[in-house]
Amino acid sequence: MTAPGADPGALFAQLTLRVAETLARLRQARDVTVGCSAKRPVWNCGKTTLHHYLPLAGASVARRRASRPVLICFALVNRPYILDLQPDRSLVRRLLEAGLSVYLIDWNDPDEADRRVDLEEYIETHLGGCVRHILASHGDEPLDLLGVCQGGVLSLIYSALHREHIARLVTLTTPVDFHTPDNLLSKWVRQLDTRLIEASGNIPGEVLNALFLALMPFRLTQQKYVRLLAGNTEPQAIEDFVRMEKWIFDSPPQAAVALAQFVRWFYQENRLMRGTLEIAGRRVRLADIRQPLLNLYALEDHIVPPAASAALREQVGSRDYSDCAVATGHIGMYVSRSAQAAVPGRIISWLSERR
Amino acid sequence: MENPFTSAGSRPEAAFASAAERFFELLKAFGMPATGQPPNWSSLAAPLAGQFEQWLRMSQAAGPWLAAGGAAWPGASAGFTAPPSASFGPLPLGPAAAQAGEVQRTWELWGRLAQLQTRLAACWSEIANTAAQRFVARVGSAAGAPATPEQAMKLYELWVNCAEEAYAATVHKDDFARLQAELANTAAALLVEQRRHAETLVRAFGLPTRNEVDALYGQVKDLRRQLAELTDAARPARAGESRTGGDERAAARRREGPAPRRGSARRTRARRPRA
Repeated sequence: MTAPGADPGALFAQLTLRVAETLARLRQARDVTVGCSAKRPVWNCGKTTLHHYLPLAGASVARRRASRPVLICFALVNRPYILDLQPDRSLVRRLLEAGLSVYLIDWNDPDEADRRVDLEEYIETHLGGCVRHILASHGDEPLDLLGVCQGGVLSLIYSALHREHIARLVTLTTPVDFHTPDNLLSKWVRQLDTRLIEASGNIPGEVLNALFLALMPFRLTQQKYVRLLAGNTEPQAIEDFVRMEKWIFDSPPQAAVALAQFVRWFYQENRLMRGTLEIAGRRVRLADIRQPLLNLYALEDHIVPPAASAALREQVGSRDYSDCAVATGHIGMYVSRSAQAAVPGRIISWLSERR
Repeated sequence: MENPFTSAGSRPEAAFASAAERFFELLKAFGMPATGQPPNWSSLAAPLAGQFEQWLRMSQAAGPWLAAGGAAWPGASAGFTAPPSASFGPLPLGPAAAQAGEVQRTWELWGRLAQLQTRLAACWSEIANTAAQRFVARVGSAAGAPATPEQAMKLYELWVNCAEEAYAATVHKDDFARLQAELANTAAALLVEQRRHAETLVRAFGLPTRNEVDALYGQVKDLRRQLAELTDAARPARAGESRTGGDERAAARRREGPAPRRGSARRTRARRPRA
């Protein structure tokens, strides 16, 4: 690696200098803001708020009027602003630039009064309420639903149960088969006692964060920081890094009953794949999803392995099914340069082709 | 050394400083202070493993489900080996004192947790040793100590790869998954038990208990649902009585209720509770 005789003192001095510089830049970037596109709340239910993004100046009004509204349903376990993190890393902004009318569900923070909110309530009352509000505002025409990660699971369920409301469905990093052999998260939670989760009360976001970090602790809690010493230390790059950090550690608590159900029904019993899921007394069959469906997943996803998403192909009843694998990781799918170049464009062109 | 991953919120400076500190420790372990001779890599395996194991014990104290608990989940404090004298424990308050059976159950759970932690520590030891052996095997005996930051980074990347591989090999095993689940289940049971003690205390002071608040909240929810159903049932009749009754958009608007007030993003009132 190097010749004998190297001066370790000189190396330490250089590295110490880099550490000091990086720390200073991280301090400067401490107050970066997250979220960039203007939006307004248009409906709410419990803690859930439906936002409507304001159209961008210069975006085609005619196109917006001609297009169906797009509703983004994000996961309960993270904040949705990752989809609109900053102008050059924003799926939302790309959709707005394409002239689409974009809505987003923010589940916000359940408190102890919400500990018994269950998945049926999230799907039928909260997600369903958002859908009904949008339908009423847009002439009762079915809308396009974009489900992300866990929000994709909720979207699949809603689309199967309410076909008349959803024209086209896009799923992004969405698990369908929770029992693929490479799914470490699934292995770990398979034997959790979900009755105890319910009885323990809402689960703090920090607990889930620790769980996600523990999937690859050295890369996620050490290496990515040490790499700052070798990477681009321009203020912009550091600000980008800090924005991501803010999002990663800004996880909402989880309503106890809904989380327990999600773990039991999907991670433990794999009900979506087995066709044994019932919501509001109705059996959920993925084969009942006949809408055009675009399924995007990440090839290096350590949270939702690609096989867990790709399994959707064999399950849905849609004759117009497409999938798209992107060479990135789970979070990279929302913000990486490669995904920003591929994902929004693919969604927009896929929707345009099926107008 | 502080562990920034067990606290709420993002603290990239603290996380970076902690990772950098670990990086420097690692470089020292690689034999950096040596007198210009290539490091004796094979002799480094043991100290490297020891250092790594210590970090694993600290950062993954009680398994991932519980690592964040010290700050956030009262039943999941990071140091499981000692009973929580400062938290709930047996309540020494006359009528509020926990029943002997409850106290015994709590102590049993703490004991169980300590046993599981010991088993977890064995896993960390296995991972640390495997990682160190892999690293020594891959680095090659002829390699010298790094002289530039880039070389140091290269060595570090190799170390991280070895560490992740060793970690993955252990944590994918069924035994490890069972252990994780047992830890999480025991900690959750302990939390439930502690809450039971707290309920006893709260009741002794004449305050509403969690169960009572839950029951009241359930009643409010039921009432809201009934009100929504009655309102829905009454509306079409009224619409028919008045004039049209056929305007679907107006009906849909009525179903949804009024638009939220301006700036009401954080408003929490349920508009159409159904469940």
